[in-house]
Amino acid sequence: MSLFKGNLLAIIGFIIISIILFVAIFAPLLSPFDPNYIDINSILLPPSYDHFMGTDGLGRDVLSRMLYGARISLFVGFVAVGIATLIGIFLGSIAGFYGGWLDSIIMRLVDIMLSIPSFFLILAVIAFLTPSIWNIMIVIGLTSWMGVTRLVRAEFLSLRQRDYVLASIVMGTSNTKVITKHLLPNSLTPIIVSSVLGIASAVLIESGLSFLGLGVQAPTASWGNILTDGKEYIQFAWWLSLFPGLAILVTVLGYNLLGEGLRDVLDPKNK
Amino acid sequence: MKQFFLLILSLIFIISCSNNDSEVIDYNDNNLSSGGVMINAMSAEPSNLISMIAGDSASSAIASKIFNSLIRYDENLNFTSDIAKSWKISEDQKTITFKIKKGLEWSDGKPLTSADVYFTWKLITNPNTRTPYGSDYTLVSEAKVPDEHTFIVTYDDNYAPALDTWASLEILPKHILENEDVNSTFFSRKPTGSNYYKLGDWVSGQQVNLTKSENGVFGAPYIEKLTSRIIPDTSSQFLELSAGNIDLMNINPIQFKRVFPAKPKLKNRTALYKEMGNGYTYLGFNLKREPFNNKKVRQAINYAINKEEVIKGVLLGLGEPISSPYKPGTRWSDPSLMPYVYSPKKALSLLREAGYKMSADNFLVKDGKALEFEIITNQNKQREMTAVLIQRRLKEIGIKVSIRVIEWASFVNRFIKPGDFDVVVLGWSLSLDPDQFNIWHSSQQGPGQFNFVGYDNKKVDQLLEKGRRELDLDKREKIYHEFSKQLLDDSPIVYLYAGYGLTAVNKRIKGIKSPAPPAGIYHNSQDWYIPKRLRRNELTNK
Amino acid sequence: MLIGISLISFFIMHLAPGDITSSEAAFNPKASEESRQKLRELYNLDKPVIIQYGLWLKRMVELDFGNSFASHQRPVLWEKKDGKGNVIKGLIQESLPITLLINLIGIFLIFSVSIVLGTISAVKQNSIVDKSITFFIFVAFAIPGFWLALLLMYWTGVVNQWLPISGLHSLDYKSFSEVGQFFDLLKHLILPVSISMLSGLAGISLYVRNGMLDVLHQDFITTARSKGLKEKNVIFTHALKNAILPLITIIGLSIPGLIGGSVIAESIFAIPGMGKLFYDSVLMRDFPVIMGILTIGSVLTLIGTLIADIGYAWADPRIRKGLVK
Repeated sequence: MSLFKGNLLAIIGFIIISIILFVAIFAPLLSPFDPNYIDINSILLPPSYDHFMGTDGLGRDVLSRMLYGARISLFVGFVAVGIATLIGIFLGSIAGFYGGWLDSIIMRLVDIMLSIPSFFLILAVIAFLTPSIWNIMIVIGLTSWMGVTRLVRAEFLSLRQRDYVLASIVMGTSNTKVITKHLLPNSLTPIIVSSVLGIASAVLIESGLSFLGLGVQAPTASWGNILTDGKEYIQFAWWLSLFPGLAILVTVLGYNLLGEGLRDVLDPKNK
Repeated sequence: MKQFFLLILSLIFIISCSNNDSEVIDYNDNNLSSGGVMINAMSAEPSNLISMIAGDSASSAIASKIFNSLIRYDENLNFTSDIAKSWKISEDQKTITFKIKKGLEWSDGKPLTSADVYFTWKLITNPNTRTPYGSDYTLVSEAKVPDEHTFIVTYDDNYAPALDTWASLEILPKHILENEDVNSTFFSRKPTGSNYYKLGDWVSGQQVNLTKSENGVFGAPYIEKLTSRIIPDTSSQFLELSAGNIDLMNINPIQFKRVFPAKPKLKNRTALYKEMGNGYTYLGFNLKREPFNNKKVRQAINYAINKEEVIKGVLLGLGEPISSPYKPGTRWSDPSLMPYVYSPKKALSLLREAGYKMSADNFLVKDGKALEFEIITNQNKQREMTAVLIQRRLKEIGIKVSIRVIEWASFVNRFIKPGDFDVVVLGWSLSLDPDQFNIWHSSQQGPGQFNFVGYDNKKVDQLLEKGRRELDLDKREKIYHEFSKQLLDDSPIVYLYAGYGLTAVNKRIKGIKSPAPPAGIYHNSQDWYIPKRLRRNELTNK
Repeated sequence: MLIGISLISFFIMHLAPGDITSSEAAFNPKASEESRQKLRELYNLDKPVIIQYGLWLKRMVELDFGNSFASHQRPVLWEKKDGKGNVIKGLIQESLPITLLINLIGIFLIFSVSIVLGTISAVKQNSIVDKSITFFIFVAFAIPGFWLALLLMYWTGVVNQWLPISGLHSLDYKSFSEVGQFFDLLKHLILPVSISMLSGLAGISLYVRNGMLDVLHQDFITTARSKGLKEKNVIFTHALKNAILPLITIIGLSIPGLIGGSVIAESIFAIPGMGKLFYDSVLMRDFPVIMGILTIGSVLTLIGTLIADIGYAWADPRIRKGLVK
């Protein structure tokens, strides 16, 4: 924690993330209601003592849905970024380590993927397969690996020239070992930062997809689809729009603050 | 920086000065006069104004205002004249003779005669025309035009739904289309019709404007211009309605019952209408799968579902239970046929008769297998809610139900077409013509055909075949009442509800009939008018 | 490159279950299965995938993306004239300009505003101004666009009738003078442009800030300061120029993001642009249009990157001087 001293933003980010993680993990204990319990007598009730965040168009308690939604939104974020990072590390290390034609092919692939507007791609793929939480995570992952690849490759390219690495290679250590023991651990900084920021972006993408009807499907609650349910009644049931919107805002904010803060802190160039 | 903020502030100031909505408007003005603009919203843009080719509802909504057919439905859903002033059915019921009104014109002034009707029929039955609707019209073995005002069609076999097909066929102008390729002609963007309105201006992606036609088949309407704005998102549409920028919109039960009453400004400006809707929602069993091939099981499930509760919860009470696939209030719907009541007791006793016993943990079991299945439906909030309510009621009597919501194209292609499902929640339209052959006849079970539940009842097959050939209305009614009774008893589907059609219309639009007749409020839209003082241009200082 | 893009696009499309004939007409009992099969044949959808791809590739070279299935033969890319001289506008031809307009205005605004914000933030590092700007940037980055859009639409369109809610033109657009038309368009575009550029703005402002901070701490700045140059001079002439260079490339790289982001904004604000066209085509399985847009979108991105590279080369005096030599 002493690392963070003086970096207020990162601390705020960390606190926010922790709260949300806590809420997501303990959602079943904290939820006053079953998030999927449809109550036809409680349709669109404003926030009250019984329902702190009101109810939605099917009479479900919004607070409970928000808590479980935290799980989903974070889950999507983690898995999608996990996939992207794994691909990125894999491709980036190969490109950075071996260089040559492997590098060219991989970078070509990166360029191609970067020139197709990724949201279009995500949209098309998800619309063509059925929108399901797994498809969403995989597709977001498959369209976000380019940044990590470049970062890893760049790190590898510079690290590869270091003495201890060259020495290790000369000594006959297998390539895999060199990569995993020497190069990767030292490239962690940009990977971590990029992952944290990636989670934020994945959460936003999921909410955008939900708006279009291609996000996490009913009846599973995600912040994105609670918001979509609510937009029809934005003038009438303000609670359906306000809470999920704020939640997304705060979560993404938290991850961004943490990510930027980490970048400042871990960057050796820093004042 | 300071200058930047000042700039923003002044911009806001300028913009806010340009709109004012503080006048009090008197909606009690009822003076009939011609003129004015009515604005509505569409979620999608029409693709092609030639209805036989276009498959989408946006296109037919616009095209129906531009074109006429031989006959049409009146406000009580009986046939009445359109282009044809009268028609006669021959003794052997195989020939229909239509007498066409004299002096009809296309909007370009050219005469509308039987040649146009013949031309349109030839077009829709031409195998090169890219239409999915041709099959009804190919049943005509011979079409004759002895003179300019007579059109005679002969069928090989009496075909009772014939009149309904002639009420849907929009007649196209021969003099414009005879040398065009109907599949690619520019006419689809710039049509010439014969009805109340003609196409004024189609601003691609934004709006379609219709202007009144002076020489239409029925004369001119009162409202001068109809503008349909293309607004894809329904919440944006509702915001536009709230701001008074559009005049009418279809709304859902929650908006009807909860939102409008809570917003006095909106309520004062808008009138709400409700009418019998055009479709019904049902729970369909896959009759080719155990245990749905057992009638007792199906009936039991029918008794176990509380339909009133579904209507109250899903539609906020704005719908009705039905007992046949016909619009309540029409002759095809038998008022003496009662829907299954809610009776879990009856459900349980039927299931016991079918061999099910209650297990220790309160589930119904037969031969070691629990009674459980999956309900699938497409992405439709009402259907989802319905499925959940059903799930609960079935759980109460020991049936375990899981629910899956699937996107439409996958739903149709991966589950419905190959017959790979247990139970669905879906809807059909409440047909105006009672013929239900395509949905219930045992020959219609092929992939892509509509008897996807797999219904096979020889008696019903015969009734359906007979009904198709009986042109006498009273005799036909008897046949279909009998059909409905059989269907209800067999319970291949559970009729859940027929929802109301709910519309919000700005009070400036006058002439709407309320309560709505069986055909709905739109049937007389050509008689609607906007009093002079309530028209848009006079209201604001634009 | 383009082949790679076309391969990926084509592959993705054929992942889809169902095709154009599975849309509305599919579940309408009036439309028989034989008719639909007929339609499928007419559209070449029954041929094996390889052949379809070959046909497609052949035509893409001539920039002939064919005709849209869903819009019944409206050409995908450019207008076609029929025998009578009637012009049928191409789908992309009509929708691209609007999306481009919104994005170009957006890019311009992002560029200018972010430079201002980033510089001020960097110069006044750690002051209240810096902290609030940074905070604002982070919030802007995190807001779900469509949520903000709806809130703003409600606030500015219904509660206070300041701005139009959706659409591109007012109803009586045609009766306005040229100036009037211009302002009308502007009024309609304020919200869509603001929403779609918000996250880009945030990201780039942050980048400028960090860039400026880096530059300001470099030796040559300290040298300049010790030389006694005025602070304003230091900031604008020396620091800024150096910090901005990479900005050009970054903005070039963010073009695909802007194009992709237009889907949501256009749908909410009823703007008939390419994003919305793409979304509709995807739902309708309108293959020619989908392919066309993916290709054009990528081409635009490539052009944008190219311009960014050229701009960078021009702006960077080192490269410029090198060229001149």
